Amino acid sequence: MNRPVGIALEAVRCSAGSQDLLTIDSLTIRQGERVALVGHNGAGKSTLLRLLSGFMTPTQGNVRVFSHDLGQPLPAHELRALRREVGQVMQGLHLVARLSALDNVLIGSLGRVGGWRSWTRCFPADEIHRGEAALHAVGMLARAAIRADRLSGGERQKVAIARLLMQGPGLILADEPTAALDPSAAVDVCGLLREAAATATLITVVHTPALLPLLAERVIGLKQGKIAFDLPIAAVNAEKLANLYRPAGESADRHGPSVPDQHRVTGQEVFS
Amino acid sequence: MLVPALSSRALDRFGGRLGFLGLTLLYLLLIAACLGSLAREGELSFGRNPVANLLKTAGEFARPSFLDAWFGNPHLEYRSDDGTVLRTENRQTVERDYLAGLGRATWTTIRIATLGSLLGALLGLPLAVLTARNLAAPRPLAWLAKGVLDVARSIHTLVFGLVLVGIVGLGPTAGILAIGLHSMGSYGKLFAEAIESLDMAAIDAVRGVGAGPAQVFFNAVWPTVLPQFVSSHLYIWEFNIRDSTILGLIGAGGLGLLITEATALFQWGRLSTVLLVVVALVVSFDALSRRIRAALA
Repeated sequence: MNRPVGIALEAVRCSAGSQDLLTIDSLTIRQGERVALVGHNGAGKSTLLRLLSGFMTPTQGNVRVFSHDLGQPLPAHELRALRREVGQVMQGLHLVARLSALDNVLIGSLGRVGGWRSWTRCFPADEIHRGEAALHAVGMLARAAIRADRLSGGERQKVAIARLLMQGPGLILADEPTAALDPSAAVDVCGLLREAAATATLITVVHTPALLPLLAERVIGLKQGKIAFDLPIAAVNAEKLANLYRPAGESADRHGPSVPDQHRVTGQEVFS
Repeated sequence: MLVPALSSRALDRFGGRLGFLGLTLLYLLLIAACLGSLAREGELSFGRNPVANLLKTAGEFARPSFLDAWFGNPHLEYRSDDGTVLRTENRQTVERDYLAGLGRATWTTIRIATLGSLLGALLGLPLAVLTARNLAAPRPLAWLAKGVLDVARSIHTLVFGLVLVGIVGLGPTAGILAIGLHSMGSYGKLFAEAIESLDMAAIDAVRGVGAGPAQVFFNAVWPTVLPQFVSSHLYIWEFNIRDSTILGLIGAGGLGLLITEATALFQWGRLSTVLLVVVALVVSFDALSRRIRAALA
């Protein structure tokens, strides 16, 4: 583990109103690491990803991604510079529906291509070649001209990964990339994601234990906005996962809105 | 103590049905009031001999005047009561001239509808941007824009036309402005809906690769919204072709003028010719626009 540090969080707290979404004392992820985030809905996984992609700033604390300090809101140009280095795969709707698969892949080059070419979508020939190569890599070259909204869920996810290859980011954030897929497509997509992340850091949110070994060498379990465990994949077993997913006490998380606020807070204090 | 509890439970179970029954009764009452009062005022008459009138009108309708351009009497003689020939008329040339005028009137109607629709779209777009909820324009501006759109939509084209004829005078300009002002309301509403249905996740994804605002606009917003804009434009344009045929009634020119003439002179044959043109125009534009809209979907 002598790779340079890619991501460092220190004394981070994110809250929305009176509710703490995420509290992390310290978290370091080295460059090239493959990390899976697990935990039930509302545990703070997506909050963590949004934090790392600059879609959210922490209420308190330091977040460092590569050379960018995300503790305060970034100026627009630095935010764009960060996002060029951070590739995202989200579940479901994240392609531009009316554009073809190839056009969607070419969006990945917007960080490099500027000016009128990027406004009229007249991308330079070498970028188009690269886009076709990326589609070929995910086995979607034959579907290059098909509009994104006519593709199946698995095909869309593959196009999203081709866009990722096009972007060539140093950090890949994948939020439940297999949520809408059947099991064989999920394995397919995970394999492609892993190839796309050959030289990059990969952080994936997954719910399917079977996919963990494909995607991660390290697993971080989140529970109610806190790190419950942070272990190498070999040390993660069914019991640990079952503990993590077991509802806390009165399942405060699931029934959050209907339970009076002060009750919910005591519940958290008691059970976490 | 028991009765209110029972009745409230009964209300829970049958409240919806009772409400519907009440509304139905109110509706029937309204219809009875309308019919009854009209009958008492003696306004429900069909005239003195409706059947004969209907047959006569239908007969003349069934022989549209344009047929005379080919089959008309070339030497129609107008005679006075004592049998002297006052003048002779070539029905064929008269009707051919009328057809030429009809063609010009059709072109005027198309011009009014086309330019009016474009004006409405241009006026409606900025107001739509202000009213679209996901763009979060300043509240007072959004309300103002929504108010303008609602007023424009609720005032009929004909009313706009009547007012505008008084301002800019008779002619197509009044028609264009009337169409533009009324359809501005519809455009604003449809455009705002198109903007509101934008897929924000896709936009975030494009923003997520580090694209600047202009790149996000041209790569995610524009390709999504443009086809919907074009589709609504065609839809309202088609609507306005229909609307502008009636604008001649108030002096904006075009087919409506010929309709007024024909009805004022009881020339049902000519009215039938004009209406055939209106139907052909609307149906062909409808087919064309539907095909384009299907291709854009």
